[in-house]
Amino acid sequence: VTQDIDWLAVSPPLVLALAAVVVLLVDAFAGPPRSRAAALLPASLTVLAVALAAVPAVRLWGAPRETLCIGGRVVEGPVPCSFGVNELTLVFWGVVLFGTAVVALIGTVVVAEGRTPAGEWNFLLLCSASGALTIAASRDLVTLVVALEVVSLPAIAMTGLRRDDPAAAEASVKFFLVSVVSTAVMLMGVSLLYGATGSVFLGSVDASLAGGGGPHRVAVVGGLLTVVGLAFKVAAVPFHMWVPDTYVGAPVAVAAYLSVVSKAAGLVGLVLVLEGGMSALRDTWAPVLAVLAALTMTVGNVQALRQRHAVRLLAWSSVAQAGYILVPLGTGTVSGVGASMGYLAVYALVNLGAFAAAAVVGTRYPGQQLSDYRGLAREEPGVGWPMAFALLALAGLPPGVVGLLAKVVVLDAAAGPVTWLAVVMAVNVAIGVVYYVRWLLLLVQPASEPGASTYDVPNGVAVAVGMTTTAGVLFSVFPGWLLDPVLSVLG
Amino acid sequence: MTEVLLDGLVAVPFVFALLTRLLGRRESLAVGVAVAGGLATFAWSVAAVAASSSVLDAGVVDHPWIARLGVRWHLGLDGISSPLVLMTTLVVALCLVSLVRHDPGCGGRVELAALLLVIEAGVLGSFTALDLVLFFVFFEVALIPMWFVISGWGDPGDRAGALRAATRFLVFTVLGSALMLVGFLVVRSETGTSDIVVLAASYRPGGTAGVTAAVLVALGLAVKTPVWPLHVWLPDAHSKAPTVGSVMLAAVLLKLGTYGFVRFWLPLADPAWRLLAPFLAGFAVVGIVYASLACLAQTDLKRLIAYSSVGHMGFVVLAVTTFTTGGVQAAVYASVAHGLITGLLFFLAGAVKDRYGTGDLRELTALYGTVPRLGGLFAFAAMASLGLPGLAGFWGEMLAIRSAVLPAAALPRATYAVLAVLAAVGVILTTAYFLQLVRGMLQGTPVAVQPVNVDVESVELATSEVDPGTSMAGAVRLDVDRAEWLTWTPLALLTLVLGVAPGLLLGPVADAAAAYFGGPR
Repeated sequence: VTQDIDWLAVSPPLVLALAAVVVLLVDAFAGPPRSRAAALLPASLTVLAVALAAVPAVRLWGAPRETLCIGGRVVEGPVPCSFGVNELTLVFWGVVLFGTAVVALIGTVVVAEGRTPAGEWNFLLLCSASGALTIAASRDLVTLVVALEVVSLPAIAMTGLRRDDPAAAEASVKFFLVSVVSTAVMLMGVSLLYGATGSVFLGSVDASLAGGGGPHRVAVVGGLLTVVGLAFKVAAVPFHMWVPDTYVGAPVAVAAYLSVVSKAAGLVGLVLVLEGGMSALRDTWAPVLAVLAALTMTVGNVQALRQRHAVRLLAWSSVAQAGYILVPLGTGTVSGVGASMGYLAVYALVNLGAFAAAAVVGTRYPGQQLSDYRGLAREEPGVGWPMAFALLALAGLPPGVVGLLAKVVVLDAAAGPVTWLAVVMAVNVAIGVVYYVRWLLLLVQPASEPGASTYDVPNGVAVAVGMTTTAGVLFSVFPGWLLDPVLSVLG
Repeated sequence: MTEVLLDGLVAVPFVFALLTRLLGRRESLAVGVAVAGGLATFAWSVAAVAASSSVLDAGVVDHPWIARLGVRWHLGLDGISSPLVLMTTLVVALCLVSLVRHDPGCGGRVELAALLLVIEAGVLGSFTALDLVLFFVFFEVALIPMWFVISGWGDPGDRAGALRAATRFLVFTVLGSALMLVGFLVVRSETGTSDIVVLAASYRPGGTAGVTAAVLVALGLAVKTPVWPLHVWLPDAHSKAPTVGSVMLAAVLLKLGTYGFVRFWLPLADPAWRLLAPFLAGFAVVGIVYASLACLAQTDLKRLIAYSSVGHMGFVVLAVTTFTTGGVQAAVYASVAHGLITGLLFFLAGAVKDRYGTGDLRELTALYGTVPRLGGLFAFAAMASLGLPGLAGFWGEMLAIRSAVLPAAALPRATYAVLAVLAAVGVILTTAYFLQLVRGMLQGTPVAVQPVNVDVESVELATSEVDPGTSMAGAVRLDVDRAEWLTWTPLALLTLVLGVAPGLLLGPVADAAAAYFGGPR
């Protein structure tokens, strides 16, 4: 059977995959970098590839299309396809592409150190990102599982790539084990779903479940196992245990990648499986997701309260933020998906900003204690104030208006259908303020000794800080530019 | 009433805040710009209020802001918000003027002035916002600047305490406003609109969702106002903040809560519900009595004034929960009066603390003998605060008790009568602690005559730092100087004017309430 392929639709993940090979080859033939500028080549190529991939993505806006469809033997209804691009996909692609570019730039922080092979690292980053793009476009369970693995496996390697770093190796192993387990659980769920409905295509699964055909309970169990597998990726409580250790052990850039792109991949997988494949079981999974969201944000915030290690704090904060992202899914309404994506987009933006600033501080204080951030806003205002802005936006307080509005979006989805969850979130927002503001205070205090917080900021990271902060401030002033298109996803 | 006047109310202080910050390197110039900003905002607000009528004209400024979120840029002024707007701009202008001559102690006057202007922008936005979510957003704008003010310029003797107080203030307020937002959003999901003018005219609260929303909004505003037992953040925040911070907190920020009750809670609640309004009124009255008892036991001047605020806010909330035009009048009147009087009291407390280096009431004595003008002014403010007829404080409390005696028909009259009596007991207790304060702090023989104990020496040391020229014999202390007269006279004068001619305020508020709530309720 031959298949017609819509090359425009598949081009973004394809571009990244090809670019990955190019980066690897260029790095191999160029040999060891002779200067610091030459060492930036792989990262530059990565950013270029991301820009290239963004071009077709922009062209696809407003014209949903599907490809890689089954030809010939259609049973009934519309043709099932494996690859689809709609607004949801594109919003998510935007997040992934932005995130990948910023992570590549943050990654240049380790160039001076010379312990991480930049070429391989960027190759892995591009591979993982191409998987992340694919997952948002996958329309069948097999593509989804494979794409999820393509996201995870290179990320595991990235975590442990730094030479002579036992902490990174340990983080990598931990991440690997959790990843394998979650994949196994998810595969179990997927196979049960397939057994119950007779199809791996999300649309067909949905239609079959809505029609009431097949063993209902098996389908429910299969769906729940699939959700659990994805919850590992999202780092929802109680499937979050790997997060703090992995983030702390990994290089800061990888932690940033895990907290944004990898988490987003899990989230979009959840959305696709739940809304696309199991919308008939809405009443079953919505309460589960609501409880998951409440647990995730509460545990994340309470744990973050007692952290003294900056990256560990960001890790727990990212767990808490994942809880907020899950809230709209817990309402079981289709419009909730838009709210989730809106929060995800804002979170990605400001969280990357925080990690970029943390990477700068890490060049001088690899211990990443919170006290190392003292005086940053005064002595290195170009990093300190962006960090302050990112923290305020994560806390959801003006001047980080974009973060505030993201919380309004999520609460708006929850208030009414599941008011209790909105109240839990309101309490959590107040808890979160405590640790973000504690950190903010350190930033604006005078440094412990003059010059303790001045840095030779690497150019790549400076660009990353600039990108995220500019975007954050811009969307704080004109929130409609970001939120209007994102919230229109799925109606 | 033009659009520019309303938008400018928010924009002018914000622009001046930016200007102040940009000129930061040239300190005196920057502070001058900040003062000019405060005065310009005050003038602007006078013009805006003069151009508006006492009845809300909701159509002047109404644009979509974030279309997908349904948030509109919807502003308006009427008889309910105008007095609070004027009071805010006046108090902020006076705070800024006071900064010219008075360094808060840890430098950074420019930043402090800029932060005050940002707070002002947020507060004015809240007072003019007619959209639920917009109100919330402006509500939040003032928080981080206020947190900076308390943590950065708070009690120099207790930095850790100031930070703790600031963070507690922030966390409580964020919790309150987040709950309030959830309530607002529940209403919006019920009605499909977040336009409070539409809601006030046509929303009939009911059902589980309606009750939930009203409870959540009440909870959120109760934290902000504050209503007992959610007041725990207040005494620390007010007493640890620098003088201008305390003035802003008490005079301006608390009014966001009371204004929120009048403008945003009344339309969302129904007096026919058997429990909500009486319970809220009950908590308010407990707060009145509790606060006055707490005041009787205070040994710190600023803490005492802070607790007295809890009591005064109790009267406001009691008045609101009667669901009558008289209650709205009392609430707005008491809010404005409290802003003027407590603002003045905190200014004076700050002046006392500067001169004596302590706010400990066990050490402070005989201000009449040493600084007669300061003492006299303090006595005046204390009398106004305890509700002496002829001064502004009297009308707010009298009207609040009166409205509690005559609540809306749907409310349990007997319950409210009991509450009114208890509130009256609170008035007596308030009188008791203020008289105790006057007796202990103002009257007595000047300490300099008997310079024996250690405390007195340290007091003299503090004085000689303030002004070495006048510290001879420790008896002559610096009395009120010209800059201070300039700062305090407007507040004292307005307290007197409003006390003599309450109709200035009551008339417009009644008109506005009648129009806003669709006739007297």
